[in-house]
Amino acid sequence: MAQRKAQHYWRSWEEGPGASEFVQISRDEFAESLDRPTEQFSRRSFLKAAGFTATVTALAAGCSHAPVEKAIPYLIQPEEIVPGVSYFYATTCGGCSAACGVLAKNRDGRPIKLEGNPEHPLSRGGLCVVGQASLLNLYDSHRLKGPLREGQESTWAEADAHIRAQLETIRASRGAVRVLSGTVSSPTLRAQIQTFLASFRDARHIVYDALSSSAIADAHQATHGERRVPHFRFDKADVIVSFDADFLGTWISPVEFTRDYASGRRLDTLPPRMSHHTQVESRLSLTGAKADQRIRVSPAENAAWIESLAACLAKTAGAALPFALNGEVGPHNSIIEQLARRLWQARGRCLVVCGSQEPRAQILVNLINHLLGNYGTTLDWNAPSQQKAGNDCELEALSEELDRGRVAALFLLHVNPVYELPNGPAFRAALGRVPLVVNFADRWEETSSLSRFLCPDHNPLESWGDAEAVRGVYGLCQPAIRPLGNTRSVLESFAAWSGDTRSAYELVRAHWRENIFPHAGNAGEFDAFWDRAVETGFVSTAVQATNAKPFSFSALENLPKISTPAGLSMVLYPKVAMLDGRFAENPWLQELPDPISKVAWDNYACFSPAAAQRLGVQEGDVVRLETTTEGGATTSTELPAFLQPGQHDQVVAVALGYGRQGTERFANAGPKWLFARSGVGADGRVGKNAAPFVTLRDGYLQYVRGGIRVTSTGRRSALASTQGHHSLTMPKDLPLVGGQHRDIVRETTLPALLAGDFKAAPSPAKINGLWPTDHPYTGHRWAMAIDLTACTGCSGCVVACQAENNIPVVGKDEVLRHREMHWMRIDRYYAGEDEVDVVHQPMLCQQCDNAPCETVCPVIATVHSAEGLNQQIYNRCVGTRYCANNCPYKTRRFNWFNYMREDALQNLALNPDVTVRSRGIMEKCSFCVQRIEAARIEARRSDKLIADGQIQTACQQSCPAQAIVFGDLNDPSSRISKMVQGPRRFAVLEEFNFRPAVNYLAVVRNRDASGKSPSEDRSNG
Amino acid sequence: MASQSRPFDIPLVAGRKTPADVTRDICRSLEGKPTLLWWCGFFLALSLLALGLSAVSYEIATGIGTWGVNRTVGWAVGITCFVFWVGIGHAGTLISAILFLLRQRWRTAVNRSAEAMTIFAVMCAGIFPVIHLGRPWMAYWLFPYPNTRGPLWVNFRSPLVWDAFAIGTYFTISLVFWYVGLIPDLATVRDQLRGGFRHKLASLLSLGWTGSFRTWHRYESVYLMLAGLATPLVLSVHTIVSWDFATGVIPGWHATIFPPYFVAGAIFSGVAMVLTLVLVARKTMRLEDYITARHIDVMCKLVLLTSGIVAIAYATEFFTALYSANAYEEFAFLNRAFGPFGWTYAIMVSCNVLVPQLLWFRRVRSNLWVVFAISILINIGMWFERFVIILTSLHRDFLPSSWTSYRPTPIELCMLLGSFGLFFTLFLLFCRLLPVVAMAEVKGVLHVGHEKEPATGTVTPRPGVEEWEIANMGLPGGAA
Repeated sequence: MAQRKAQHYWRSWEEGPGASEFVQISRDEFAESLDRPTEQFSRRSFLKAAGFTATVTALAAGCSHAPVEKAIPYLIQPEEIVPGVSYFYATTCGGCSAACGVLAKNRDGRPIKLEGNPEHPLSRGGLCVVGQASLLNLYDSHRLKGPLREGQESTWAEADAHIRAQLETIRASRGAVRVLSGTVSSPTLRAQIQTFLASFRDARHIVYDALSSSAIADAHQATHGERRVPHFRFDKADVIVSFDADFLGTWISPVEFTRDYASGRRLDTLPPRMSHHTQVESRLSLTGAKADQRIRVSPAENAAWIESLAACLAKTAGAALPFALNGEVGPHNSIIEQLARRLWQARGRCLVVCGSQEPRAQILVNLINHLLGNYGTTLDWNAPSQQKAGNDCELEALSEELDRGRVAALFLLHVNPVYELPNGPAFRAALGRVPLVVNFADRWEETSSLSRFLCPDHNPLESWGDAEAVRGVYGLCQPAIRPLGNTRSVLESFAAWSGDTRSAYELVRAHWRENIFPHAGNAGEFDAFWDRAVETGFVSTAVQATNAKPFSFSALENLPKISTPAGLSMVLYPKVAMLDGRFAENPWLQELPDPISKVAWDNYACFSPAAAQRLGVQEGDVVRLETTTEGGATTSTELPAFLQPGQHDQVVAVALGYGRQGTERFANAGPKWLFARSGVGADGRVGKNAAPFVTLRDGYLQYVRGGIRVTSTGRRSALASTQGHHSLTMPKDLPLVGGQHRDIVRETTLPALLAGDFKAAPSPAKINGLWPTDHPYTGHRWAMAIDLTACTGCSGCVVACQAENNIPVVGKDEVLRHREMHWMRIDRYYAGEDEVDVVHQPMLCQQCDNAPCETVCPVIATVHSAEGLNQQIYNRCVGTRYCANNCPYKTRRFNWFNYMREDALQNLALNPDVTVRSRGIMEKCSFCVQRIEAARIEARRSDKLIADGQIQTACQQSCPAQAIVFGDLNDPSSRISKMVQGPRRFAVLEEFNFRPAVNYLAVVRNRDASGKSPSEDRSNG
Repeated sequence: MASQSRPFDIPLVAGRKTPADVTRDICRSLEGKPTLLWWCGFFLALSLLALGLSAVSYEIATGIGTWGVNRTVGWAVGITCFVFWVGIGHAGTLISAILFLLRQRWRTAVNRSAEAMTIFAVMCAGIFPVIHLGRPWMAYWLFPYPNTRGPLWVNFRSPLVWDAFAIGTYFTISLVFWYVGLIPDLATVRDQLRGGFRHKLASLLSLGWTGSFRTWHRYESVYLMLAGLATPLVLSVHTIVSWDFATGVIPGWHATIFPPYFVAGAIFSGVAMVLTLVLVARKTMRLEDYITARHIDVMCKLVLLTSGIVAIAYATEFFTALYSANAYEEFAFLNRAFGPFGWTYAIMVSCNVLVPQLLWFRRVRSNLWVVFAISILINIGMWFERFVIILTSLHRDFLPSSWTSYRPTPIELCMLLGSFGLFFTLFLLFCRLLPVVAMAEVKGVLHVGHEKEPATGTVTPRPGVEEWEIANMGLPGGAA
């Protein structure tokens, strides 16, 4: 043994017996000496090394793409910030004066998403497109970084010193000080402005709304003795008649109204409740699209209809009117009588609203509501709306003062009169005559560029503030992020110029302590009250019942005359996304297809198809619209024509809010490549400003302009429409199939539904397949139901989805090439020719059980989860686009380019839970899988089951109508399980056995069983 | 049958060539300087290739967005070109393999260029599935290979994976078949040349061919086996390509008729392309004696036959759609014919069904200019057939909200031209570098060895050639 152990086995011949040198070498591993003789580092070697080092350093510095950046971790982690965990701050939306409650979702110290605050008494969790998109305004690099003086960067101290000095001289010389603002919903700010103005002899706060409802308030001044906009309660109304008021789209407080309207049309309650809604309008609005009965009238006829309805009701009510109303409206008396009968039967449970700016029309509407006993029920007089406080009469006076150079100091607060007022150019000139012009705008725009001092206000997400939407409902704004620039709250600015050094926080708190807390009832200590308000984002206080003055019939005695526009009239309307143009620089809003026209990135002249034929205009033709005032001045603009079914033939409708200064930036909104076309018009802006067509007449901003001449320019301009075919009826020009109807959307009437003989879809037959089922779904089975009766098409879900899922903006050219990226879209279909019925169908990935996309992907980049989700694996996707071709619903979206944001700062709004997709990759709705996973993690952590309703997809959360329900079909007690049992359930293309997980509930219209609305019998005048 | 009308009375090679003539004629074009016409063609093809290459480079650098495709029409010109080129390839295999097995000896004159066409067409075809990917650099993920991504494999349910296999197999077999067929001719070339690089290359590629009986025996066995292997590919490759569409759910794609319809269409387009090529080659390479009017005539008849099959497929497709009582299916076809892209359907039907009917007339078949024009029209028509199938089915599918249109960008069109550039560049190089006509095979069908005995008028068959083989040497052109 020992002998064998000693045996030397040689490894190679050289190592063999006798090769002693090799043995020596192989023993030590490093044959060479490791000792480096130091003296050998010669001068040459030094120079070589030095040269090499220098070269490499230079190369590395010159070629490196990574700039040196300092990453500083939290040394002391703030208590409330845990990386990766979202926090919600309850605050108030600053998008418009409706002041809805929002929850700002904060992640790692920055707001990344706005959600509706479900606790808020008015908006109740809903949020509109503007609210959703207003997040992006926070991260807009075009916002001013600090105060400007004469267009030059300045400091707050310098600006304050100059302004105060100048105010002192004005005070001494008794000059006129004017604050011009939009509706200020903040009670603190209103008080602050009053305090500020109180120190001057001649000082006034003038309020106007670019989208004015001034006539409503003035009509109530006339009929009820107080200038108020009552709080409309659509939830209490069983019969709704709206004259040109787009209350589901843009009128006063659309989110709240949509929620109320939807709650008046709940078919899943027992007994089902469904209000009857008649819309009398000249253009097709979002509200008109939802109406049970829609009557097309010209703007001139509109007032006549109101008048005859009032006359008819007065007769029914036996009210003695001090004058004779013209009750005749030609051949439509039967419709009016029917309308009046329906309203009379629902006395006290009905609501008549009017969007007109004609005081006569509004006074008559008040009369109608008075005769019907709606004041105190569907019109809340005690807690009036504070959302439209504008008074256009004062605007006229101010214009006069400015013209005469009487104003010494003008403070412009969140208004852009040069852009949005009809006399913008005159206003611009007049501003030059005002010695001190201070503007609080957050950017360099039409009006702010003319001011001596630009004192940019914070973004609403950066500052303390408050808002009173309806008397007694106070929303609180709290900062969700530190101000990104050196901006200052307008509260602090006014305070500073009044000699008050308190911060916005202190100002708001003090105001609440003094004015709101005492009315809050038994609220205990103020600190506790305040903390609760900060936590919930709002407080509701008791409202003193004011004795409504009796309806003053004397107001009817000298009704103002109505000016009837002659010939073709232009109706100027706000789009749900663009409103008056306040957020024209918001790419999400620009890219949102209008829910009616489905056109993004532009405004256009809408003609009814008949009118277009009469005028010889085709869609996309650039037409010149002209009108002349009595003075002989001509106003004109050139816009591409758009054919809008359902619009009155005597109307050309043009959206406001376009052609804003600053939209030049969108020239580069899309990908840059060889054949990319600019996203802006010839004048460098998105769309054209239609505000010059607005008139300020008899103290009212009028959005109807008569005597429009249309001439063709011979040019064409393509409209970026996301929908090419607008009906479920097949094109007429095809033989055999032309005129066939596709069963994509199912609908019925209320009587048919109540009679129980409606079933939207046959019960899904059990198909005995050849193979065992692929997806047994033993755990959860996620599914969605969308109630098409509730859905108004407002598109809040589209922007919510865009914000939640990091969906890029692709720009006009890409939309023109049909490459919009929205995961959720609102399909809009018309039925009928001139008198159209409209349905909106939110369309998103249907998460099919038998998904056609899954089988065809060669690399398994789209797979089915055990819970029914159709999952897209971005990093596996090679981009064959086979799945998109094979998707019957065409809900898949492809990254044709690397879609960069036009503004890199807006990357801060990215949701860290959702991958940002690069080019060449397919994407689509994931059912907000990140939210499902977050709920799962939370459930696992707290050792509970995921409760029904705990997971809300982004679209569902934002929906003001609560049309979308998401949940677990395997849970028999879940809301969705119950919803899909009803007779209204159907799935799109069910007959192909794709087995989609998205269920739709059929559209129900409150009509007689034949499904015809009376207006269909009526020929269009 | 009278002896006068026996097929071998019309020689397959005109001009009473000797084997030495054949070698001289065919190799002449390899040895001399290229003609001006060749240079012009080559320059044009190369320019188109350069254009296509720049377009592809730009597309890969920038994104698929440089094409006109959109969210509804995900495939268009790119995949049309893919199917078109795969289809072109089929005629080559048909001529070289199936006609070989069927002892159609007239094929000898055209089989070499037809096979070359197959290879180049499949190369053109293979480019498109790669460049149409969103991330072409990940194209290798379409192949199952051992990887470190866990048990991540390709989706064997996806027709695109079947495509990858089908095209890969097809290319490999076609290349080997072509090369094996080239070996005796390469040896001839080697023997013709005196030293130099080309001699060395020919020596290397001819694999030490000696021309011995054993060599010939083995060669013929291998060739026969490869022909047997290639034959099913003629049917399978385009069947699989058609499944790309037939397995989809889109109305207009989802059709069981697709495999035979596509195969017939492929052979149809391929023979038309062979006609185009040989008509040009015979003129420019002065090969009139080898590619005779009779060859053209036979191929015209093949075109007529496959055109008939294609026409029946069009009619059947339409009938099935209308008879299906499936509204979506009915719509897809009526929209195809009468919708916004009805003009493409009109081009397709007129080029593929109406125009080939002219070939019923012998006068048309014998007028080579007319035949050339018809072959070009068929090529256009067959390109549009694929375009119609892909585009008109996609652009208006189930939900009217998603209907779109499509317009190709210049980048896409450059790629289309580039693929022709690649094809013709390769083909023209082939004409210069390799024998265009299979010399060894042509020598087999010369009159030499079965000369007519002047006295008796009977035939002395070449040893080893059976009587029935001679009878089947070609379709009886004049006697039909």
